[in-house]
Amino acid sequence: MKKKKIFSLMMASALCLSALTGCGSAPADSASADNTQSSAQSSESQPAASSQASSEAQGGGGKQYEGVELTMWSMWTSSEPQAQVIQEAAAAFEEQTGAKIKIEWKGRDINNVLSASLEAGDKFDIFEDDYQRIANVYAEYTYDLTDMAKAVDYDSFSYPCLNNQVIAWTGNLNSIVEQPQVGGVFYDKDAFEKAGVAAEPKTWDEFLEVCQKLKDSGVGPIAQDGAYCDFAFYHQLVRHLGEDKITELALNGGWSGTEAETAAQEIIDLINAGYFVDGAPDEFPSSENKIGFGMAAMIVCANYVTAEVNGNTGTEVNWGLFNYPAVENGVENTAAYAGANSLAITSYSENAQAAFDFIMMLTTGEFDQKMADTAKQIPADTRNTAPAILTGTVETLLSAEVPMTWCGGLHANSDLKTSFKSMCVELFEGKYASGAEFCEALDALY
Amino acid sequence: MKKNKAMIFWFSLPSLLCLLIMFVYPVCRTVLMSFFKVESVTAGLSDWGFNGIGNYTKIFGSQTFRTAMGNMLLIWLVGGVITLLLAMLMAVVITSGIRGKKFFRAAIYMPNIISAVALATMWIQYIFNYDYGLLNEMAKLFGGDKIKWLGSDMKFWSMVAAFIFGSVGYYMLIYISGIEGIPLDFFEAATLDGAGKVKQFTKITLPLLKGVIKTSITFWSINATTFFLWTKMFSPIDTEESTIVPVVYLYDTVFGGKGVVTRDAGAGAAVGVVLTLIIIIVYEITEKLFKSDDLEY
Repeated sequence: MKKKKIFSLMMASALCLSALTGCGSAPADSASADNTQSSAQSSESQPAASSQASSEAQGGGGKQYEGVELTMWSMWTSSEPQAQVIQEAAAAFEEQTGAKIKIEWKGRDINNVLSASLEAGDKFDIFEDDYQRIANVYAEYTYDLTDMAKAVDYDSFSYPCLNNQVIAWTGNLNSIVEQPQVGGVFYDKDAFEKAGVAAEPKTWDEFLEVCQKLKDSGVGPIAQDGAYCDFAFYHQLVRHLGEDKITELALNGGWSGTEAETAAQEIIDLINAGYFVDGAPDEFPSSENKIGFGMAAMIVCANYVTAEVNGNTGTEVNWGLFNYPAVENGVENTAAYAGANSLAITSYSENAQAAFDFIMMLTTGEFDQKMADTAKQIPADTRNTAPAILTGTVETLLSAEVPMTWCGGLHANSDLKTSFKSMCVELFEGKYASGAEFCEALDALY
Repeated sequence: MKKNKAMIFWFSLPSLLCLLIMFVYPVCRTVLMSFFKVESVTAGLSDWGFNGIGNYTKIFGSQTFRTAMGNMLLIWLVGGVITLLLAMLMAVVITSGIRGKKFFRAAIYMPNIISAVALATMWIQYIFNYDYGLLNEMAKLFGGDKIKWLGSDMKFWSMVAAFIFGSVGYYMLIYISGIEGIPLDFFEAATLDGAGKVKQFTKITLPLLKGVIKTSITFWSINATTFFLWTKMFSPIDTEESTIVPVVYLYDTVFGGKGVVTRDAGAGAAVGVVLTLIIIIVYEITEKLFKSDDLEY
């Protein structure tokens, strides 16, 4: 009886521990197994006129990469618009160079399996993920693309702020931008026009004037979802403190008595003035959808909000973008959030040049334009044109000197980041009477 | 006899190997890893640095982990009491000979056959929604004010309520099978002796369901300890304090999160070990509280 009891206890603990240790990787693996397919199955192949890859036939009449097989791990699922374009580009590359490209659709959880797979030396050549993670987590297993990029004059048609950021993190260029992102205040141009707002606000005072005009016109000036409260407040903090100071405060405390109090007070003033749409901060994506329903006019977010709102609400909002307003005596008044999903090549790839040529075909010229138009994203090739809903984003990214990270300063303290986030939600809920009270609460976390 | 032993060995070998590779090895590795400084979950042993009880000190010193443990405890205790009581009540009602037994049993169990993602989405977007959610529409109907069900004060309990809704049917089925296993003679005899329904429940049904209750408490403890998906659904984009639970803390610690590039597989392993110990302790306590009487009926 006792033996039976011990055995059942062991089984229960084994089951539980293995479930915990195994979490995360299984779904992605199984998904990939289901979704693996060769791009050769793509319904039609496109000419790759804009590709950097050479289409010259090599000696003997064979194609350049005849016999080469590339494997790509994609962060998209096979039904997404990005996947359709990747398949078309792969088919065109195959036709042009003779290479074979196998694409495995890993989905968004690719980051859960990448580390293990790279460490294990799994056989794949190209992978997609957030450029910050590629630079900081997988750098050891990525190919240095600096020379290849120089050879095609990559700097002349890419975003310097993103390339420089990667080089600052890793010391070399280890990824190529596929899907650039830019943050700021996205707004409904029609709502601005209706409210009589002639120009985009550049300063905090001008921003408040715009909010008042919008409110007077019967529209909720600002939409805010709880999921993005930390991102929105981070903009205000960066303007007043800069990212380095935020990092220092996040790690060590000491928020009281700093400009963080002013930043929090300005948010509280916005709430008290009734500048947030009814229900804000709402559960994602309820508040951002209110822009599509004509109930709100502005939102602090990254560029994907435009496609999300249009898709969710079935409308075509006349989108505009301006950088987060400058504050009085601000120390970092021009920074804008910039990020990217990028493509990298594994350090152990046997066909790095072929992989790079395929990446170039995908992220430049025709296929990049197609990706921008189909997936409603900012083109990776600066010579291309952003879709109408993202007008101005290429220029904003090109002019950004210092890219702001995604709450990077606050996230520097990975242990308290969830507390910071919840407190930011409470700040937007109006739980704090003053900026000083908010900062005292922040300091109480240490 | 010798032949038989060899055959038993060879037939058991595949299962034994699977058990060793897929269960025992990860368990041993996780326990070992929890005493080492390891960044990546698949890092080779050469990259491990001995850390003593450093990982345990780290997680118990973390406010986020303590919050996560507190949330888990509430889910286990409050959610458990409500879920198991509701399940028992429904099981008793359904087995009491009411009309439409099959319909009610299927209806109450139905949330279990719907994807938890779809179920959570339904609760978040259609029931708790501030502007047009079912609950606020009902509040408006009765002249009340709209409530922020997913505001920072209410979010945790809203999530627990949705989770309970999705869980009751499963435990109800377990109780129904337990109740239906009790011979009807017992109840008939009790009725003849003049015992009412309540007395029959407390003196016959409950004592004979001891083993089933013990099992359901163990199952619930495992469910509460491995609570993950509902938190992810109720805090999209990034983890929030109001909904965080230890497994999500473990996940974020091991894999990093949005904009977070630090990883600590050693601390994650320590969380896994702590959670397992909790399940073992709960199991032991329920074993002591609900001693099997070895009743045969």
